[in-house]
Amino acid sequence: MKKVININFQGRVIPIEESAYEMLKVYTDSLRRCFANEEGRDEIINDIESRIAELFGEALKKGSVCITDSQVNTIIDNMGRPEELNQDEPGMNAGAASQNQSATSGTAQTLPPLRDKIFRDNNDKILGGVCGGLAHYLKVDPAIIRVAFALATIGWGTGVVLYILLWVILPSRSLTGVSSSKRLYRNPDEKVIAGVASGIASYFDIAVWVPRLIFALPLVTGILSSFFNHYFHWLHNNESFSRIVFSSFGGTLLVIYAVLWAIIPEAKTATEKLEMRGEKVDLNSIKNTIQEDLQGFKARAEKWGKDVSEKAQQMGEEVSQLGEEVSQSVKDTTTSVVNEARPMAQSGISRLANAIGILFKAFFMFIGGVISLALLAALVAILFAGASVFPLKDFVLDSAPQQVLAWLFLLLFFGIPIIAFITAFVRRLMGVKSGNNYLGYTFAGLWVIGLVSGVFLLAGFSKHFEVKAREKQEYVIAQPTSGKLLVTVADSEISTTTISSGIKVSGLLRIDGDSLQLSNISVHVEKSSDSLFHVTGTRLSNGKDGEEARKNLVNIQYGFTQQDSVLKLNRGIHLPPNAKFRNQQLVLTIQVPVGKKIQIDRSVRNRFFFINIAENEDGDDWSDFDSKNNWRTGVEYEMTQEGLKRTGNTDNPKSWDTDNDEENSPMQDSRKSRRQLEKELEKKNQELDEIKKELEKPAEPKKVALHTVPSDKRGFFYWLQSANSNSAVIREDKVAAAAYIFYHKLI
Amino acid sequence: MEFCILSIIRQGEVYPSDLVEKMKSANLHILEGTLYPLLTRLKNAGVLTYRWVESNSGPPRKYFVMTDQGLQFYHELELTWNELAAAVSSLTQPLTSTNNS
Repeated sequence: MKKVININFQGRVIPIEESAYEMLKVYTDSLRRCFANEEGRDEIINDIESRIAELFGEALKKGSVCITDSQVNTIIDNMGRPEELNQDEPGMNAGAASQNQSATSGTAQTLPPLRDKIFRDNNDKILGGVCGGLAHYLKVDPAIIRVAFALATIGWGTGVVLYILLWVILPSRSLTGVSSSKRLYRNPDEKVIAGVASGIASYFDIAVWVPRLIFALPLVTGILSSFFNHYFHWLHNNESFSRIVFSSFGGTLLVIYAVLWAIIPEAKTATEKLEMRGEKVDLNSIKNTIQEDLQGFKARAEKWGKDVSEKAQQMGEEVSQLGEEVSQSVKDTTTSVVNEARPMAQSGISRLANAIGILFKAFFMFIGGVISLALLAALVAILFAGASVFPLKDFVLDSAPQQVLAWLFLLLFFGIPIIAFITAFVRRLMGVKSGNNYLGYTFAGLWVIGLVSGVFLLAGFSKHFEVKAREKQEYVIAQPTSGKLLVTVADSEISTTTISSGIKVSGLLRIDGDSLQLSNISVHVEKSSDSLFHVTGTRLSNGKDGEEARKNLVNIQYGFTQQDSVLKLNRGIHLPPNAKFRNQQLVLTIQVPVGKKIQIDRSVRNRFFFINIAENEDGDDWSDFDSKNNWRTGVEYEMTQEGLKRTGNTDNPKSWDTDNDEENSPMQDSRKSRRQLEKELEKKNQELDEIKKELEKPAEPKKVALHTVPSDKRGFFYWLQSANSNSAVIREDKVAAAAYIFYHKLI
Repeated sequence: MEFCILSIIRQGEVYPSDLVEKMKSANLHILEGTLYPLLTRLKNAGVLTYRWVESNSGPPRKYFVMTDQGLQFYHELELTWNELAAAVSSLTQPLTSTNNS
């Protein structure tokens, strides 16, 4: 059902559908513009309108109730569309030009050929219309010219100079658009970030995801390559090379994307969309495009399930845009089509700012994308790490419910975010919009379940650590003949880091086939109560209750070998194959008699990792074991009445002995002799003085006195005098003087 | 193009839409939108003139007739056309004669 209005057309009253009337009006307006330069334009238009009125009359006579859209369309077709009329004229002019002067004097009024001179295009400009004018002259898509300029600018900076030059030189005109060719636009309907990829796809008639993948490819390969680098190390030699290649490639591509985003105009009006696809631009196809857009838009709105008011609002906008576009399109096909999307009043500077703003937007989106991708990478890395720790599962967990909980925890807590990321990423890539929020809720719910199971797991797990048991045992050692004991860790058991023979988990734990080795060992040095060296080992273990703790403890096996004065400790405590991790520890206490020396080798620090998970409630001799060790590796100590004292024979020369001393517990501090402290203080002061001297010394000879001596001839001479060398150098001008100073680093 | 139109008009006064029909029957398709400006131009150049004819089924129509000056112009066009036709046929004729013989 359409609205019908009555119009007074050429002196007759004609009933006509409103939409048909709009079409007619647009047509006559376009004709008016079309013949703007013609002499007798009004007469021509009048003629045409009369003819149309005649045709209307015939139609009505034949029995139509009113003039319809289709009738108007047919009439316009027969009359001829604006662009067809325009193109015909030059052709006819060419034929008649050589014939008759009087005839051609009339025809010379038609559109002058604009293609043999370069102008700046007033209608198709982003900054100053230089590219648009060039494109018009060369009859290519302006976007290509712009890209060339952008490349020139990035590459050598000459593009900017050239652009400004052309801007100044070329006069500006309102040029007719090169509307018949296919133009490169950004497609706003199918955009993931800015529609660059889909615009390119339309231009080249390829599937949308292809250019998108091309843009995303370097990022993806970058991530993959960084994974490989990390886990397989085979790229170690070429690491920097491959990184440079990938990261620079990815970076370049993103810069290209941003540049294209700024350059390529967005196909907002229906005309532009048609041009983007390369279809013929006329009223019919414009109408079809708009209808397609409307339909597509409707479908999308339904799919998203947005609320009704929004839908109605948007549709209202589309409808008003339809009317706008129809009128605009006819106007635009003869002048320039592109620029209707941009307000004409924009000055060049604001356009530049616009372009820069777009570049910034692209940059920030890029950063955001990188961050999210980094998160994704982290999650995946955790998953990989988890996979490598997998064999520990049996060691740590024990009962069936625990295992289930553990699985749930791992999979859900870590797996869900990964899956969500991948889904979102793929979705964006394919341009598919998610239909519902249920997926998000489902993901969130599963993740919460994972979290809860993790909590339960932790609770269940910690139950096994409630009680701690310990047991002391003395080892038999031979007294070192030299009076000094060297403590090292045997390294014969350490295999190279190959994954095939057993799995090594960075030091603390080793699973070798079916035996477990835990390096949870701590070495303490004490004063011996007699004149002999003693080594005692204290085994500790946790358990659910006292009985289990003791059971776990008994299973700890440890030993060491001795070669005269070298104590070779085993790398870790051995546990039976099916033992569970219950914070089994071993504390080796070495008692050194007064007057004897001891040195702990660096291998001890490297290979023992003492961790203490659970609190212990027993008495106060524990505080010994809890405090940090009172020795440093590689340093020889002598046991005195007051405690360990450094003898000064060290492996690693260092002037300060800070860390262990400061970390001592209060008890240990009180043991330290005051003399020792004083000595250290003195040493510190000495060093300080030394450093001060160092700083001060070089300063002196660098002093320079700068005198100016007036010369009778010209200017001043600069008389540079060095403080310690007493030599004077004369330089004639300031610049040379400054250069001299710089050169000799005098100031 | 103008030559063709003028020759039609020469045969008698005609109004534009008729002209289009006649051109169509001679296998020359022209749009009305092209025709009107052309006619107006010719009229402004003095080649054609017109008169209004009232009609009961619509607004008054313009009927175009050729003027004397128009006739002159027409003859010139005719000459040119003949020359062109002769030139073309002389070029194509040796081909046909060799084919025949």
